[in-house]
Amino acid sequence: MKGQYNHLIVRNLKELGVNSKLLSPSVPLEQLESMKPDALVMGGGPQSVRSPDKLTGELADAARLIRQVKLPMLCICVTHQLLATAFGGVTEAARKPEFGPVEISVLDDGRILEGLGPSFTAWESHNDEVVRKPDGFQVIAKSSNCAVEAMRHEKRDIFGVQFHPEVSHTTKGVELFKNFLGIVEEHKRT
Amino acid sequence: MGERLSVAVQGFHPSSFLSEETARLRELTQGMKVISAVSGGVDSTVATLVAREALGDNLFPIMIDTGLLRVDEPEQVKERLSRSPLSLKLRLVHASGRFLSSVKGETDAEEKRKKFRETFYQVLREEAEKEACEYILQGTIAPDWIETQGGIKTQHNVLEQVGIDPATTYGFKIIEPLADLYKDQVRALGRHLNLPKEFSERQPFPGPGLLVRCIGNVTKEKIRVLKEATKVVETSLSPFNYEQYFAAVVENKFALDPSAKTISATASEALGLPKSEVHAEAFEDRVTGVKGDQRSYGLLAAVKLSEESRETYGWLQDRLRQLQTGIVEKFPDITRVALLVKERRGGRPLSIIVRAVSTRDFMTAAVSAVPWKILKDISQQIMKEESVSRVYYDITPKPPGTIEFE
Repeated sequence: MKGQYNHLIVRNLKELGVNSKLLSPSVPLEQLESMKPDALVMGGGPQSVRSPDKLTGELADAARLIRQVKLPMLCICVTHQLLATAFGGVTEAARKPEFGPVEISVLDDGRILEGLGPSFTAWESHNDEVVRKPDGFQVIAKSSNCAVEAMRHEKRDIFGVQFHPEVSHTTKGVELFKNFLGIVEEHKRT
Repeated sequence: MGERLSVAVQGFHPSSFLSEETARLRELTQGMKVISAVSGGVDSTVATLVAREALGDNLFPIMIDTGLLRVDEPEQVKERLSRSPLSLKLRLVHASGRFLSSVKGETDAEEKRKKFRETFYQVLREEAEKEACEYILQGTIAPDWIETQGGIKTQHNVLEQVGIDPATTYGFKIIEPLADLYKDQVRALGRHLNLPKEFSERQPFPGPGLLVRCIGNVTKEKIRVLKEATKVVETSLSPFNYEQYFAAVVENKFALDPSAKTISATASEALGLPKSEVHAEAFEDRVTGVKGDQRSYGLLAAVKLSEESRETYGWLQDRLRQLQTGIVEKFPDITRVALLVKERRGGRPLSIIVRAVSTRDFMTAAVSAVPWKILKDISQQIMKEESVSRVYYDITPKPPGTIEFE
């Protein structure tokens, strides 16, 4: 994805000792599989997913990856919205868009948000938001403006966050990546 | 961008970066001359030191005096770099007239940046021809090309990453030793190379200099006032640990839409103050921001509180944050919000805006909580300038603002 923060995702993961690579979502599935990845993190970008039937370019490719890839997955910002619509949820223009610091209330501090509750400051930059979560997902965090700040699949290791854990101003962003890497390790063992 | 092993392993190791990069530079230039474009900032200075390790006397550092640098800056940089332990011999190239005339009459921020870039590389082309030199080395780092590629703003030192081939356009090739690094990694590398603290920890200064802090039209008077205001802000805020702090100048012309009435209503609601205590309007000249990963070239709201409320609210960071988000959420065309610190009556043409931010990598930035008393002192000093009638403090984080104004 074209988001400017996506390079920071790679930087965060490298600093945590993980060999990570930034790819375009147009990467063919065979090529992705040949790299033998353990997990997929999808970043943000300037696009909008408000009309899910008419996705083009990077978003159409990212939607394809969300459907095809069976690995643990973390989707950030616009791909969090894409994840929601791909599984039947709804994304609309935010009543109150969020830019800069936002207070996140943790609703379920298990798994990916472990140790992040009861609340933390995250940085955001979005004009759209998930207004209805898809079936089979649980909402695990919200803010005063946005009802679905984070969600997780009830059975699979798939997570979406509206905020940006990769930017340094998100106080517990590194913890979130560590939690995700723990989940990835667990997934590899089972 | 080429993946380099030392960046790919856990953390960042200056010594392995250095040995790989110097080997790459030697291989690339094969004993040929290289001109290094130095601004005195940490990026170009570190890039030059890395290159000197590799190329020795084949490296020719120059600094272009664009006329858009701070008071006495070119001479000071030249003098400081010449001292031990750096002992870099810098040649100054005077081109201030060319830069000013190239942006004359231009008010659009991106056009100003592109014209600056064009003049910058024309000057470098002439220098390369004079020295019969094929390579220009510059201090471009990761956020420069990320923001330029992302269409947030055109950095003057990014060409290849946006599809401009310097060899066919300007007749030289470009070397960017730090292109994959972030600011904090560059500083670490600088410390490793024994760069004195005054360089390695120096606050960033944009390549196009004061051009991007002179909002809208560029005039000699605006640049002159801005240089003086910059000196006041830098002197007053240098004891604090803010990563970046500076002044910008804007003309006192205000937009008709959204109206002062509607912005004032939103501002008083966000602060929970009576309408009579709040007056807000937006400057006519646009400023740069980033909303939802996209460039936002929007308005700068200017909020004035009654003197008594100002004394209270100037200290209350949370309330100022509510003011800023309240306005930006409500008006899609407003990107940034500034709070009046001091004003005086009379129809003077200019306002100064003070900005101070805290940041690790300059990709996001928080507004620094400058003590209200310090802001008032700064304003008092800046008001000595005849053409300035108001001083504001920018209360916008990045996003939705950027750190610089254009």
